[in-house]
Amino acid sequence: MNDTQRLGQRPGMRVPILLAAVALIGAACGGGGTAAPSATATPSPTEAASATPCTPVEIEWFVGLGTGENEEQIPQEEAVVEAFNDSQDCIDLLLTVVDNTEAADTLATRIAADDAPDIIGPIGIRALQSFGDQLLDLGPYIESSGIDLSQIEPGLVEAYNVNGKQIGIPMAVYPSFIYYNKSLFAEAGVAEPPHEVGEQYEGEDWTWAAVRELALKLTVDTNGNDATSADFDPANIDVYGLDAQFTEHDARAWATIFGGSGSAVADDGTTAQWPDNWREGLQFMYDGIWTDHIIPDETAVDALAAGNTFQSGRIAMDVVHQWYTCCVYPGEGDPAVTDWDIAVLPVGPDGTITSKLHADTIGILDSTEFPDQAFEALSFLSQSPELVTTWGAMPAIESQRDAFFAALDERFAPLDIDWNVSTLMLAYPDNPSHEAYMPNFQEADSANKDLGSKIWNTPDLDLDAAIDAHIELLQEIFDSAN
Amino acid sequence: MTTTSAAVPIAAEPRPTGRWRAFRERESVTGLLFVSPFIVGFILFSAIPMLASLVLSLTDFDPREPDEIHFIGLTNYQQMLSDPVLHESLGVTLRFALLVVPLTLAAALGVAMLVNSRLLAGRHVFRTLFYMPMQIPLVASTIVWIGVLHATTGWLNYALEGVGLPGPNWLQSTFWVGPALGLMGLWGIGNMMLIFLAGLQSVPTELYDAAKVDGAGPWASFRHVTLPMISPVLFYNLVIALIAAFQYFTQAYVVSNGRGDPDRATLFFNLNLYREAFGFFHMGYASALAWLLFVIVLGLTVVLFKTAGSWVFAGGER
Repeated sequence: MNDTQRLGQRPGMRVPILLAAVALIGAACGGGGTAAPSATATPSPTEAASATPCTPVEIEWFVGLGTGENEEQIPQEEAVVEAFNDSQDCIDLLLTVVDNTEAADTLATRIAADDAPDIIGPIGIRALQSFGDQLLDLGPYIESSGIDLSQIEPGLVEAYNVNGKQIGIPMAVYPSFIYYNKSLFAEAGVAEPPHEVGEQYEGEDWTWAAVRELALKLTVDTNGNDATSADFDPANIDVYGLDAQFTEHDARAWATIFGGSGSAVADDGTTAQWPDNWREGLQFMYDGIWTDHIIPDETAVDALAAGNTFQSGRIAMDVVHQWYTCCVYPGEGDPAVTDWDIAVLPVGPDGTITSKLHADTIGILDSTEFPDQAFEALSFLSQSPELVTTWGAMPAIESQRDAFFAALDERFAPLDIDWNVSTLMLAYPDNPSHEAYMPNFQEADSANKDLGSKIWNTPDLDLDAAIDAHIELLQEIFDSAN
Repeated sequence: MTTTSAAVPIAAEPRPTGRWRAFRERESVTGLLFVSPFIVGFILFSAIPMLASLVLSLTDFDPREPDEIHFIGLTNYQQMLSDPVLHESLGVTLRFALLVVPLTLAAALGVAMLVNSRLLAGRHVFRTLFYMPMQIPLVASTIVWIGVLHATTGWLNYALEGVGLPGPNWLQSTFWVGPALGLMGLWGIGNMMLIFLAGLQSVPTELYDAAKVDGAGPWASFRHVTLPMISPVLFYNLVIALIAAFQYFTQAYVVSNGRGDPDRATLFFNLNLYREAFGFFHMGYASALAWLLFVIVLGLTVVLFKTAGSWVFAGGER
């Protein structure tokens, strides 16, 4: 090789030079995308907040970890974002909506890629177990901004205090109760369920045993025989007496609905357990599906309005949360659910009423470069009642609830739904939550869903043995967290 | 080879002058420029991610806590030995491959022979129809299949009931869900059929004429003419089908809610890998699983290539 040969002429160097040239061209064309603001080019958070006029900073709000990603909810969220951006010049709030099934993956990937959004939510208690450690402590910001949390039940505020960090301001609460199809009750000739706590049903205490008796009368086969009849054909059921739709495979949730509050983790925080009332709860579920045939199995659920079972018009009673008002369409369905109301939950095997509670908040990721501005945006969002309305949520702020229920009344007119039931049930939340912390959360949660799937799909299951095996599995999963 | 080279006129090989060398070098640069999009793409989107996954497989990387990454050596690989879920997923994948690979090969070859037959009226239309499902997005077609296979409302069970057969619970039964996915797989044999069709059309008709003269019937012609002549195509499809079986994911994800339901009967290797990576955020372990899959598929492919010499007919040589 000639020593005077130029670098580019050396065969071995051509490819690297070519690549470097491509990279340079790419960089020159602005391939960097939305680069993080440099320290010299961007004012510090304090400067940005105080300077007038200011250079707007971008704050990204990531929606999808809980509710908020439905097509009909997005325009309202966009309107709130626009209202915030119009209200000031220093922060440019951007909305990113991700499908719920991909939201956690997307967020984790973006955190890993150092491209995390600033604000996330609405985020429920379950999702919080996955990202709680990545959230900013809002305590100092709440204190300095003078936000009044006294209108929110202390228990709800406490639910978002994780390891001493206040990681969210409760925005939305969703107690659960019984939605019931009044037409099916009339057809079966039975009285409607109680609307008041402590009220009896047909002279008997309102317990899950009473619910079972009622559900047997409401479950009807295609020949018109109800489940109390000797001629009842469980292979051809037309109407089911009871369901807890959208609980899907979550064994903890099923156990809580029918058994009451409990925890899969003992007080020491490391030992796996399955409380007796949860065993009873799952036994109720299992018998309801496979012995009494009052609850649909997964195959039947798939055939009932693709999972939105109450909407199918073939479910008489359905235990669901407040958010389910999102998905009842009185004008649709065959038969349409034209006349429905809500009733209180019964007393469980633990002797108390348990209304499984969902709650949503908005949090700030601690990786944000602009925590002050992010908190300013979060404050605006958390005090926008139209957001909780579009999420179908009962506002955590008590003074906003009348407007929320009035909006629902307008939507479901001429039906006169007894929303007092929802307020009553808020006093009986599951504590600890059915979505509460477990060591190695994602794996343990997945194992619980495996158990739920097994119960939902296996007609000849030895339930006690399955639960015993499940406790052993949970213990292995918990142990692997250390 | 030497004979062939000697037959090429010497005049065609220019003398290696300096000018010629410069021309060849310019030509190389031009060639490199033309292939550079692929090279850059391969390096950026395949080679570097592969290398990164190899490095990640030696760590406990959790994407939510990228700063907490630790080098843990071969721990992830050791963990595979005692991971019952991995062993289950391997079993599910292997059983599925044993069922689906021969099934799809036979079906694709059968359909290809059918649409290659001169006796079939409108065979061009049928070729299009059999290929058409390939144009439908996999998720959409899977959702349609879920409806078709539903135990109580699905068309398939209606049809079975119509002939007096009890319809199984295709998607919620641990026994039937595998065959159900196999059945679904038949929907996507269009590509394989086209490749077989090309192979069938390249078989010289003289061979069939000669076989007929020798008294061969349809089966003997197929066994002794068609199969050997299309064996390279069969081999290619076999390798591709095997790799596809081990990479099976989308349909299983859609059918099983991404969890391998019912009771892990559809927890394929890739679904388990996905759960580890994006469900449990065990990105290090998932990377190790990806490398295990790579080694398994590579090993099986090598075994197939080793056996190819004994049954693949390649231009007069065996």
